[in-house]
Amino acid sequence: MIFKIAWRNIYRNKKRSLITITSVFAALLLIILMRALQFGFYDKLIETVVESYAGYVEIHADGFWDNQSLDNSMQVDQQLLDDIQSVKGVENIVQRLQTFSLISLGEKTKGGVINGINLSEEQKITDWNKKMVSGSFDLSDNEIIIAKGIAEFFGISENDTLILYGQGYRGMMAAGKYPVKGVIDLKNPDLNKIGLFMTMESVRNYISSDEISTHIIIGKEKYYDEGKIVEDLALILSDDYEVMTWKETLPEIEQTITADSAGGLIMAFILYVIVVFGMFGTVLMMTEERKYEFGVLISIGMSRIRLFGIILVETIILSMVGVVLAVMVTYPISIYYNINPIDMAILMGDGAVQMIEEMGFSPMIPMSISWDIPLSHSLVIFIFSLLISIYPAIKISKLNPVKSMKI
Amino acid sequence: MIETKKLLKIYNPGKYEVKAVNDVSTVFAEGEFTAVVGPSGSGKTTFLNCVGGLDTPSSGDVIISDENITKLSGAEIIKYRLNNIGFVFQAYNLIPVLSARENIEMIMLLQGADEKIRKSRTDELLNQVGLYEMRNRRPSQLSGGQQQRVAVARALASKPKFILADEPTANLDTSSTSNLLDIMNKLNINEKITFIFSTHDQRVIDRARRVLTLEDGKIVNDIKK
Repeated sequence: MIFKIAWRNIYRNKKRSLITITSVFAALLLIILMRALQFGFYDKLIETVVESYAGYVEIHADGFWDNQSLDNSMQVDQQLLDDIQSVKGVENIVQRLQTFSLISLGEKTKGGVINGINLSEEQKITDWNKKMVSGSFDLSDNEIIIAKGIAEFFGISENDTLILYGQGYRGMMAAGKYPVKGVIDLKNPDLNKIGLFMTMESVRNYISSDEISTHIIIGKEKYYDEGKIVEDLALILSDDYEVMTWKETLPEIEQTITADSAGGLIMAFILYVIVVFGMFGTVLMMTEERKYEFGVLISIGMSRIRLFGIILVETIILSMVGVVLAVMVTYPISIYYNINPIDMAILMGDGAVQMIEEMGFSPMIPMSISWDIPLSHSLVIFIFSLLISIYPAIKISKLNPVKSMKI
Repeated sequence: MIETKKLLKIYNPGKYEVKAVNDVSTVFAEGEFTAVVGPSGSGKTTFLNCVGGLDTPSSGDVIISDENITKLSGAEIIKYRLNNIGFVFQAYNLIPVLSARENIEMIMLLQGADEKIRKSRTDELLNQVGLYEMRNRRPSQLSGGQQQRVAVARALASKPKFILADEPTANLDTSSTSNLLDIMNKLNINEKITFIFSTHDQRVIDRARRVLTLEDGKIVNDIKK
């Protein structure tokens, strides 16, 4: 009966109900689409930066992150790799051996980071061939691929030779001449200045080590929570290892997203304020103009709680109809633009797009199809509906049926 | 039996005090058909509101079947009204979004009666007030007289101990008034339901078997026919 009365009351003032539902619908439509685009951009940002180099989760020997020395490297056996692979959400694993070195040619010297990689395994995390500026990524022993910043610094390309000089494993000297097999664009200005790639074996030879690694990089299943992977890894790994997510290894990305997301939330908050005042206006009018009716209902024996229940259901229906419509409209739009990403050139112009591309990002931004976006914002509207209902609840609790029927 | 003892209702206590009901003590026996009469402002409606638990008296008691309803809490008095008192208002006061049937059934729904009982009692009441054919109409689709008959059926739905009617015929034409009085009279005689009206209407006064006259909140005359 409560639902029936509430529904008919909404239908009683069709125009007003329609305006309220439309305002909820329009605001939520804007909020969901705006956030879907924002989160789509973040996903793309993470994908570009994290998936192309860092990985969602990294495992090191305990203490490596604070003191990135070869003395803090680890020996990785097949059992450890199998244990990691058995964790839910882990899609693939690669080992890396990373060390710092001086790079020289003629009179010029600069610092760099040598990355020892397993080519076939790395290919599972990112398509390196697509990033090659010149030459090939098909590395043989004692060959190197250099990032384009290094190539520019020395003014070299493939088939030139660089001298690497640094500290090896356990205090050994490390030095060697390495021909350049190709030049790669890592799509990250900082990494492009220092990145240098060799096969794992070549690096081990260079630093005179046995089978050590500094990093185990984990690629995860799409949309799987990396925090959950870290939790599960903590259960199977001993204290000899440290496990970090990209949020810890690349805090600047997390900070960029947090700062940008705050802007989106402010916008959403403004829209919420508009919707909430619109809804509150409707509830205010509904309450004031029906005081007489409330008086009658209390007189004939309807409890105040039940009466409040009617108003609460009315408020929730008014807001939730708008919410359901907004979700029904926005989700297909999000799916469409997830499959067919939005070309930022149309929205921002060619100049901005060129800048985005130089930063290594694609100007094609897909919308996020994560259900978290519509669900979280629907929940916010629902909570606001409950808060708005406090007003009629107070009015009803204080209502004097005799006075209200004198109006 | 309904008894009021030294019932007093003062509006604006302290300054510009108005004694709407002033020291009224009386008894309404079961099955009475009483008209409370008096000029405008004599305290008829306030008296009825205090008897029905809609208004709280400033002092005095209202005792219905040995229960002093002035001592009940807000929630208890609402429940008491639901189960023991039927109200008929001058402006009918039906719920506009519910049909005639639903307006009547709602009272039993609030009482927690099961569907079968609700349905049969609603049909019975609609037949008693002669509106079964119009059961699915909303109040706005009924005449004033028909709406007041639905209001009477609604008041009877909870099988109350008595019905309080505040100027029930004030908005009705002669034929509707006569029809409504016939129905209420029949219910009073056949089902021993106690009716207490406040009224100005001579047609109602003529049909009442007891006439209680109020002036300035006091009983000035009490005639049993």
